[in-house]
Amino acid sequence: MDRDQGGVAIERVAAPPPAAPRRRRIDTGRFARLALLAPTLAITLVCFIVPLGLIALYSFGSVNQVDFNVYFGWTTGNYRAFTSSLYLNTLARSVILSVSTTLACAVIGFTFAYFISRQSPRAQRLLLVAVIVPFWTSFIVRTYSWVDLLQNLGPIDRFARALGMNGHIDILYTQWSIGIGILYSYLPLMILPIYVSLERIDPALFDAAEDLGATPWRQFRRVVLPMAVPGLIAGIIIVGVPALGEYVIPEILGGGKTLMAGNILADQFLQTGNYPFGSALAVSIMAVLMVLLFTLRRAQPAADPQ
Amino acid sequence: MNVRRHPFAASVSLLVLLFLWLPLIVVAVNSFNQQTIMAGWGGFTTHWYGLALHDQNVRTGLETTLYIAVASALLSLAIAVSGALWWRRASPKARAVYDGLIYARIILPEVVSATALFFLFLKIHFTLGLTAIVIGHTVWNSAYAAIIVQARMAGLDPALEEAAADLGATPWRTFRRVTFAALLPAIIAAGLLAFTFSFDDVVTSVFLQGASNTPLPVVILGMIRFRITPEINAIGLLVMLFTVTLMSIAVLIYATAGSLGRSGRRGNMLDIYRGR
Amino acid sequence: MTDAAVDINGVEKRFGDLVAVRNLDLRIEPGEFFSIIGPSGCGKTTTLRMIAGFEDPTAGRISVGGRDMTGVRPYRRPVNTVFQSYALFPHLDVFENVAFGLREAKVGKAEVRTRVDEAVTLVQLQGRERSRPRQLSGGQQQRVALARALVNRPEVLLLDEPLGALDLKLRTDMQTQLKDLQRSVGVTFCYVTHDQGEAFSMSDRVAVMNHGLLEQVGTPEEIYHRPASSFVADFVGTANRFAGRVEGVEADRYAVAIDGIGRRTARGPAGLESGAAVLVLVRPENLVLNGSVGESGGLDANVVDTAFLGAERTVRLHSPKLGELTATARGSGEPPEQGSRVGLSWADDDAWLIPAADAAS
Repeated sequence: MDRDQGGVAIERVAAPPPAAPRRRRIDTGRFARLALLAPTLAITLVCFIVPLGLIALYSFGSVNQVDFNVYFGWTTGNYRAFTSSLYLNTLARSVILSVSTTLACAVIGFTFAYFISRQSPRAQRLLLVAVIVPFWTSFIVRTYSWVDLLQNLGPIDRFARALGMNGHIDILYTQWSIGIGILYSYLPLMILPIYVSLERIDPALFDAAEDLGATPWRQFRRVVLPMAVPGLIAGIIIVGVPALGEYVIPEILGGGKTLMAGNILADQFLQTGNYPFGSALAVSIMAVLMVLLFTLRRAQPAADPQ
Repeated sequence: MNVRRHPFAASVSLLVLLFLWLPLIVVAVNSFNQQTIMAGWGGFTTHWYGLALHDQNVRTGLETTLYIAVASALLSLAIAVSGALWWRRASPKARAVYDGLIYARIILPEVVSATALFFLFLKIHFTLGLTAIVIGHTVWNSAYAAIIVQARMAGLDPALEEAAADLGATPWRTFRRVTFAALLPAIIAAGLLAFTFSFDDVVTSVFLQGASNTPLPVVILGMIRFRITPEINAIGLLVMLFTVTLMSIAVLIYATAGSLGRSGRRGNMLDIYRGR
Repeated sequence: MTDAAVDINGVEKRFGDLVAVRNLDLRIEPGEFFSIIGPSGCGKTTTLRMIAGFEDPTAGRISVGGRDMTGVRPYRRPVNTVFQSYALFPHLDVFENVAFGLREAKVGKAEVRTRVDEAVTLVQLQGRERSRPRQLSGGQQQRVALARALVNRPEVLLLDEPLGALDLKLRTDMQTQLKDLQRSVGVTFCYVTHDQGEAFSMSDRVAVMNHGLLEQVGTPEEIYHRPASSFVADFVGTANRFAGRVEGVEADRYAVAIDGIGRRTARGPAGLESGAAVLVLVRPENLVLNGSVGESGGLDANVVDTAFLGAERTVRLHSPKLGELTATARGSGEPPEQGSRVGLSWADDDAWLIPAADAAS
């Protein structure tokens, strides 16, 4: 390297040496990366996407009542079957039940999450554990325990009569018991995302709002509520979407009398054998869900409201 | 506890806690209750436990469920870890699709995905049974596992792997000695979570069991349908204790894994709801 | 000529359309403390990573110890890196962190023990071998990273802004320790930082980079007193600059006509031709303020503002002929009054010429 007394930069080489040889490493790198993705592809493509696609396809098919073969042919008969009042009623009831339960879940869950977020860190941890632990217990056993609790002559019934009610509560095996069951099972799922959203709120924001003249209620409305929206929406999705397709809860707490979409769907496949109709039902449920998801996502503020 | 400032929220919260715990307490209490009709306490007994533990259906069910849960957990972990490794170097678009598929698998009602898989297996003449159930569970189990592993992966300093290479470790040894080792707490937690979900599952198991032995939750479902004995309460309490223990271990392991890198952030399962 | 510790030849690095490093030729001598400085995005970190092997040059060649490193993976290179984030393995304790490279090299247990103990003692962390990284302070973690790299006896040690996260006091202490360490161990250090002062205090030689190009290489004195371009002059300190034109060469000095002032003598790089446009550089500490205007041969300025910094005093001036100026004086003594007129002068030897063509940078 040439340098003169001033330490000025070196003479540039007339022509740079030839470029480094292209390496084959790149190919093995890409191969390795694809190999890493393969298991995920297998489980999502083969066992998730393809089956759903298959269902969508066969929703346009029909079943031969004699030999129980399922034929694929382009008919919309299955979808038209929905217009029969029997199914329409059940489906409508399903949706209404899920929606109302989700809303109740949201209100109650929000209140609880708000309460937790206003506690000391230690108390917060305690409360969170108290909410999550029931969630870790067997889903089916928990659901079943409500049968005992809600039945006539059960503890709640007797408690109500002790308070002076006439007759029995007659809750079991109705929409109400299903609603309670869904509320019970999904409440923790609603509380957690809302809590996370609320916990993020910098306490200094309350001081700032107060400094600018906001009363506690207005502070709540203008600071807490808007910042809790992302968590709220996440909770509504996590609860509302699966609730629509619930099977176990209506099965146990509906007693075979009250059905939801999930039960009808299962029935078509496991008993009746009318796969095309069942497929149409599945597709319809998915369609409703996608609409729900879409509108909810739109309602969600862009990113983190930090 | 800060109650005075929020009396309304406090009372609601109290009711919620009672609401959440009441069924558990009822099940626990009734499992020792001699009285079978809901007429109150009839005296302490362990009779139902005896029945439960000697019930052949229950024992087979337990074995079957354990097998399914372990198999599904392991499979889900393999998928989750390989996916997380791929995710690190993936383009934003590819990542978005990957994340979307995780989300979809979790959100979609189990009835729909179970139905679809059932139909696929039917069409390709794949025998329903334990393998089918394991596959069915793995579809959504791998999604839950992926979330946990991913969250941990995101907290790892990317320079760690470069540091390992700098110090002479080949890519395989880097994975073994650094990446995998640092991910281990999350892997264990995810594995336990997947196990618990499988252990508890009804819908997919019902759809895909075919002629095989019945998993425990489905056994319980049968017992419920056919007008039950309080044996269920005994089984219920045992199962609840089992799953709560497993999950507690999972949370402890994940949380005590400690901070990563310089920032000193302690791992927390709620991270899954944050950040991503 | 002995093999350079690191020899960089015609190296270019592109990321898609972005050229991070262009046409780089650099030679680091064995045993020296070498620094690369420059603003963010100048390519210094990319260069370091190319030496380490984490990036491959798009063109050109890098050799370490005389051996061509083209296509050689990082785990086969005789270099080790101290990372900006330290990158300590969180699941291993200090001992295992430091021993990591030795284990990869399949060094025997006894030797591992000895060498790790040596390294840990060298960075003064004896007794903390069983601690986990999260239990250590930032400074301690930094030293573990250092030990972990040095224990492998690399031919070159690469350091990527390792002191960035430390507070000022700790940083200055570590700078002294690093310099002493390098002297005693004798390993070639290649240090990257954006902090000019840090680089100057520790290095034998410094390279200044800007927008992927190498601006200048030299000892700290050379860089400071004889900068090759306006950019370098500004990057390493404050500079007063006057436009002018070379009129002739006298012995080892140049005669230069400064706009608005007239003929002066100044030093400069070899090869400047008569008529070339130049900037005359005078450092603030070399600008002399005289009480009376007459002493300085007719050059004067108004004092705009003064600031007392303790050991020094900064004086901002405005001269009708030369524009805004900065001078530095000793902190003791009477400060010049704001608004007063003072005489300006400087020694001919303290004036340095920079080709004006570089003024664009």
